[in-house]
Amino acid sequence: MIQILSGIQNTSASLDAERTRLDVISQNIANAHTTHDVDGKPYQRRVVVFENELNNAMNGDTAGLSTMHVAKIARDSRPPTKVYDPGNPEADAKGMVSMPNINIHEEMADLISASRTFEANLAVVKNARSMAMQTLAIGRH
Amino acid sequence: MIEALFNQPNYLSAKKTLDAVALRSEAIANNLNNLETPGYKRVDLAPDFEKELARATTSNDSEQIASLKPTLAVDATSVPSSKDGNSVHLEDELMKMNQNAMTHALETQLVSGTLAKMRLAITGHA
Repeated sequence: MIQILSGIQNTSASLDAERTRLDVISQNIANAHTTHDVDGKPYQRRVVVFENELNNAMNGDTAGLSTMHVAKIARDSRPPTKVYDPGNPEADAKGMVSMPNINIHEEMADLISASRTFEANLAVVKNARSMAMQTLAIGRH
Repeated sequence: MIEALFNQPNYLSAKKTLDAVALRSEAIANNLNNLETPGYKRVDLAPDFEKELARATTSNDSEQIASLKPTLAVDATSVPSSKDGNSVHLEDELMKMNQNAMTHALETQLVSGTLAKMRLAITGHA
């Protein structure tokens, strides 16, 4: 197949991966105070693991390039933070509650980095489009 | 010969530059793709292509220009900016992407201009 928009076949994969990352970050922020996850334990921070795949060597010129995508959504193994809150129904005998291992500042920094990467990839699409339009206009006057 | 119409060195080098620009846009897209891949080294057009093209264009030899082929290579001059060893800089990459788009606009106009002139010569009106 001819590539009219050069360089965007990997971009959509990347946009998709960043979108997943944004979803996971918003889930983490939403669950920053969930002491009772589906497994009964405090919510554990989820992290997106990306993996990279070399492009098919049959593609000739672009053989060295690679595509990234989401490999899995893993759990952050850091221990839950203990907070003293004896009134909480989830508190143990000493009045300590296990809160999720989520640092809201870390999540916000991650959120910004993910949306910047998303924007950069969108810029690639826009650029590829305008280049394709110019190419199609060759010889027109 | 009809081929001779399309074998002027300037027209050929404009076409070669367009090839290179398209390939470069793929490289930049790939770099932005791997903006956060640890250990990723940015790729770009192989540095000797520009020199070869300049040399072939000054020699005015159409065959030499036509035989050139742009390729991609890992950019050996780029330095990782963070501990993860990734050598892609977002701003640099966006700047290069825009530069590439400008070159593309210039070269497509050059090609269009050449074709328009040829049409003018053949038909007497543009």
